[in-house]
Amino acid sequence: MTKKVLVVDDDPDVRLFNTTVIEECGYSALEAENGEDALTKVKQERPDLVLLDVLMPRQSGIRFYRELKTDPALKQIRVVLLSGIAKKTFLRSQKALTEFGGAAVPEPEHYLEKPVEPETLARTLKQILG
Amino acid sequence: MDIRKILFVTQFEELWFDALQSLLDLKRAALEHVVFVNVIEREKVALHRGVGYRKGEAIRLREKANIHFINWAETLFEQGFEVGVYIVVGALVPRVVEAAAKEAADLIVLGDRRQGGLKQFYAGEELAEIVQRSRVPVLLYRYAGARHEALPPFQRPLLATDWGPASQAAVAYLRRLGAVIGEINVVHVTDENQLRGDSAMAIQKTRKDERARLEALCQQFESDGIPARAHLVVGEPADLIVKTARQCQATMIVSGISARKGFGARWRGGTYRAIADKTELTTLIVPAPAVEKGR
Repeated sequence: MTKKVLVVDDDPDVRLFNTTVIEECGYSALEAENGEDALTKVKQERPDLVLLDVLMPRQSGIRFYRELKTDPALKQIRVVLLSGIAKKTFLRSQKALTEFGGAAVPEPEHYLEKPVEPETLARTLKQILG
Repeated sequence: MDIRKILFVTQFEELWFDALQSLLDLKRAALEHVVFVNVIEREKVALHRGVGYRKGEAIRLREKANIHFINWAETLFEQGFEVGVYIVVGALVPRVVEAAAKEAADLIVLGDRRQGGLKQFYAGEELAEIVQRSRVPVLLYRYAGARHEALPPFQRPLLATDWGPASQAAVAYLRRLGAVIGEINVVHVTDENQLRGDSAMAIQKTRKDERARLEALCQQFESDGIPARAHLVVGEPADLIVKTARQCQATMIVSGISARKGFGARWRGGTYRAIADKTELTTLIVPAPAVEKGR
């Protein structure tokens, strides 16, 4: 069965770029334009991996990631961050949210800084999904 | 209504991150989400004869805004805030109103390019139109004086009340901010026409009644743990509100705006605009409740 990757990014150009690479790797690509939209898609489609931007309208990747990783039914879904926001910021923000009373969440599978070369993205996907 | 989410509209010329930082004490009330908005004016990337749509310029401006916002967002994320961004091409007013509706923002923050008047805001009437069209309060942010310090506006506001529905909405809005407001001053400007009478007693009774009303309002704030002081003045509203703000060293002026059509709206609109025109302070403009808007 073809593995599914959900691309979460508010920029349609970035989504197009990512979905093209994903499909060229032989996976099926899904799209969401913010964290809220992504959560709905994740529940419906149960992707194998989420390629996640951080800074988006409505709901950021930080809150989406937290919701995903604290939901027992969804927390096994792997996440690769693809963002201009630094990895250490992502980790510190999760730590801050944990300190404000939230549950601790694990680190994402992988982090890629925007912009990413198609070869780098393809290699990362294959490493994780096989 | 709590201020959980603010829409921070910046063109990078007039409103910088220090302005936002001065608002972050709203976190002690309820603030948890900041949404940045940058509108790339259509004229900058519009079709030009012989050039066409300047896509490259649009990309350049978008990425420039993105660099600023990533830097600001990193600071906010690390403090536990939720952050969102809109970088859009178009006309300022509809884009801001649209983003506020999409995000269900509780407050819109707009900047003033220069001190000294609404006429300097963006392109003239744009800001006034945002205020008129907004369903949520609008904060017209001003840097205090030439020192360009970003004082926390909610620390010591002056509420100007005309007892109308918008003023009542402003009271309800401010009463939720007890954790942030250090002291509130409340001013009512009595119309000189109300003081016409044959006897000093009648005029004094008007003063006494208005004073009692103000004191009752202050009591409401005090019951929420916000120290409050009443000021009753008579004369031209905008002038006196600005003077009272100076007298009590207010950090912000809060005023209501009615959405009613006709003379009443013009008068009220005139007052808030005149206040914003005359003061160097940040101004918070609270709309009347939605029910009244439909009338």
